Amino acid sequence: MARFIFRRLAFAIVTLWLVVSAAFFLIRAAPGGPFDGERRLPPAIEKNLLASYHLDEPLPVQYWRYLRMVGGGDLGPSFKQKDFTVNELISAGLPISLGLGISAFLLALLLGTSLGTFAALGHDTFRDRFLSGLATLGLAFPPLIVAPILVLVFAVGLAWLPAGGHSSPKHYVLPTIALSLPYIAAFARLSRIGCLEALGLPHVTTARAKGLSHPRLIFQHVFPSAFVPVLSFSGPAAAALLAGSMVVEEVFSLPGLGRYFVQGAINRDYTLVMGTVLVYAVLILVLNLLVDLLYGRLDPRVRSEMVASND
Amino acid sequence: MRLFLLISAICCCVNGLADFIRIGNTGEPATLDPHRYNLRLEETILNDLYLGLTTMNQAGQIVPGAAVSWEVSHDGLIWTFELRRDARWSDGKPVTAADFVFSYQRLLNPETASSLAFFMYPIKNAEAINSGNAPVSTLGVAALATHRLEIELEKPFPFFAERLLYPTAYPVPRHAITTHGENWVKPENIVTNGAFILADWRPQGFVELVKNQRFYDASNVALPGVRYIPVQNTTTALNRYRAGELDVILDFPAGELRWLRQRMPDHVRVSPLLSVMYLVFNVSEPPFDDIRIRKALALAIDRRILTEKVLESGEPVSYGLVPSIVANYPTATTQLPDRELARKLLTAAGFTQNKPLKLTLRYFTGDENKRIQIAIASMWRSVGVQTSLHHAELNAHFADLRQGDFQVAQAGWFGENNPEHYLELLMSDIGDVNYGRYISPKYDRLMRQAKRTADLETRITLLKGAEIEGLRDFGVIPLYSVMIRSLVDPQILGWQTNPRNVHGARYLRRK
Repeated sequence: MARFIFRRLAFAIVTLWLVVSAAFFLIRAAPGGPFDGERRLPPAIEKNLLASYHLDEPLPVQYWRYLRMVGGGDLGPSFKQKDFTVNELISAGLPISLGLGISAFLLALLLGTSLGTFAALGHDTFRDRFLSGLATLGLAFPPLIVAPILVLVFAVGLAWLPAGGHSSPKHYVLPTIALSLPYIAAFARLSRIGCLEALGLPHVTTARAKGLSHPRLIFQHVFPSAFVPVLSFSGPAAAALLAGSMVVEEVFSLPGLGRYFVQGAINRDYTLVMGTVLVYAVLILVLNLLVDLLYGRLDPRVRSEMVASND
Repeated sequence: MRLFLLISAICCCVNGLADFIRIGNTGEPATLDPHRYNLRLEETILNDLYLGLTTMNQAGQIVPGAAVSWEVSHDGLIWTFELRRDARWSDGKPVTAADFVFSYQRLLNPETASSLAFFMYPIKNAEAINSGNAPVSTLGVAALATHRLEIELEKPFPFFAERLLYPTAYPVPRHAITTHGENWVKPENIVTNGAFILADWRPQGFVELVKNQRFYDASNVALPGVRYIPVQNTTTALNRYRAGELDVILDFPAGELRWLRQRMPDHVRVSPLLSVMYLVFNVSEPPFDDIRIRKALALAIDRRILTEKVLESGEPVSYGLVPSIVANYPTATTQLPDRELARKLLTAAGFTQNKPLKLTLRYFTGDENKRIQIAIASMWRSVGVQTSLHHAELNAHFADLRQGDFQVAQAGWFGENNPEHYLELLMSDIGDVNYGRYISPKYDRLMRQAKRTADLETRITLLKGAEIEGLRDFGVIPLYSVMIRSLVDPQILGWQTNPRNVHGARYLRRK
């Protein structure tokens, strides 16, 4: 098990290096530079600016400098947000994105799987069809559409909740709902299908024939196999939610990581873009590792594979 | 730092955060170091934090700031400023002439890497110092006495008092910079000389300013503080304003104007900004090296349709490169569309119905820009020109323009009450902001002559001559000035629309 984790970590470091390198060269290949604005920059000033950020050095030198810096945990100064380092910006934005992401993920997971299970247990009844229809509808409404509607109804119209900002937990209610809606729908569909399949499995039929009580049957035998697809989807879903949603953060003016990523890319703020890309990559890798470990707990077959791979 | 935050938090409570004005700014400031700033949205905040030699009143007019008065020598080269004796930094130290000498030397020092340092190039040796060709000590700025500052210019520049309004001309605290280095702009270290001081800055969250009790005119500053909240998305800004979370927003979606005017007329503030939007031809590339083509395309455009039917915010039409709202400058003559003549010119240049002129019109991403360019393309179609539209985001767009990689493109220039600022765009030696590589010896000669002239009236006449020359060549097609669209809560008094769109919080108060 320890060797499995160790191997995955070694693999993660190589992945991170590839991601950082790709980001480094891609953002530099994009047209325009960090100091191209609408206003004129006389050559002397442009030279001063480029020199102060080491952008006048040959690309391999810059690359090596960046790798060394990142290796030491320093993501460098932001090219645009001149009064902050990328580390400072990310440590300001990450908690907000994480807070929003975790609450959206939990809401999606709990509500989605409950609804899915509930629908599956009443297979082919009105309740099942109604909930399945609702889930399809939920998938069809991305945050881009839902968020402004929520703001107009609950903030501007009814004035129950704030329209934007992040100073209290109340500020997170609408963004959480907007962000989690498609994921609630996705989790509901996956858990419904998972449950339906699990209900037909031989060991479940056997258990039922042996007269196991309904709740025990569901919790002990149906859920573990029903939730394997839910779990596989959880990794990428959690990464996507935790990494911050640009749209939701923009609509609710939440100063999270998603905005830095997009604005960094638009402004050609090289260090900021690479810093956020790196954080995303780390999040995805860590969550995928977590999911793989959880698989082992849910599905004995995977656990034995992990052990086997150690030999 | 914790202690400071705690104290400022307590101060906020004592003053009552409720009295703070919450302003929805159009984006996040990149810096609050006036020498490194680069964005218009930073100017507003910096204007609250610092006080330059000159400053603006509510109406955006130039009034004395850190200087009580100034004199200009007969040849227009020596400007002597008498500084305010009661001016203090927020830590109590007096603001002296030596502070300004230090500040301007710092601005022009190549190591500061100030992107807008060229605003101060009118000062003697400024450009040479900034290019690394002269030591900073040779800058034409001297402290004659504790409160008397002399600035020597390279060439006469009657608009210098206006140039001093930019944050690049604000003083910065030498003592704080020496002590804290790069970190002097952090809330716990910063020292300023304006009506407000920086209390807190949460990146992408807000910038919070509190009243500077040591400001010389503090008794006339009504607000205990102001919060600038970045809301880049204009729809979000509008929603938050309507939900009562913001007292002022500095932009809202153009499409909502009519609705807002009906529903909340006493909130809407719409006025022209000192700016010009224009189309530029790449005159170094055929067929746009042919003046007949350029003239035909210009004559096919009906600017009034663009502003009245497409934009609908009351934008002033521009027939000249200098915006019509620039003070003390004669407006360019109206040029009515003439499709008949446009068609004749195209035919004469060899483009007919069977062999139409095909071109690519480039613009930068934005809803308003898109609608304008589509309208222009359809106006050109009516004279038989086939236009394909190509858009890119702002940075990429202007990077292409600088490299001359375009045929016809949209461009814009924002700025000052100074015709030269706009007319310089067509000088042959201005560099790559003369995107179309327009070259006219006569234009250059008139501009250079104007720049040597101290007498304002003669200077304006020469500038006007250059503008007429440039317009006659149709190197660019000026279109209109951009509008400022703000919403201001009627509870807030002292907000006057002005063409610079800078509103000092020191003039604002709550009803």
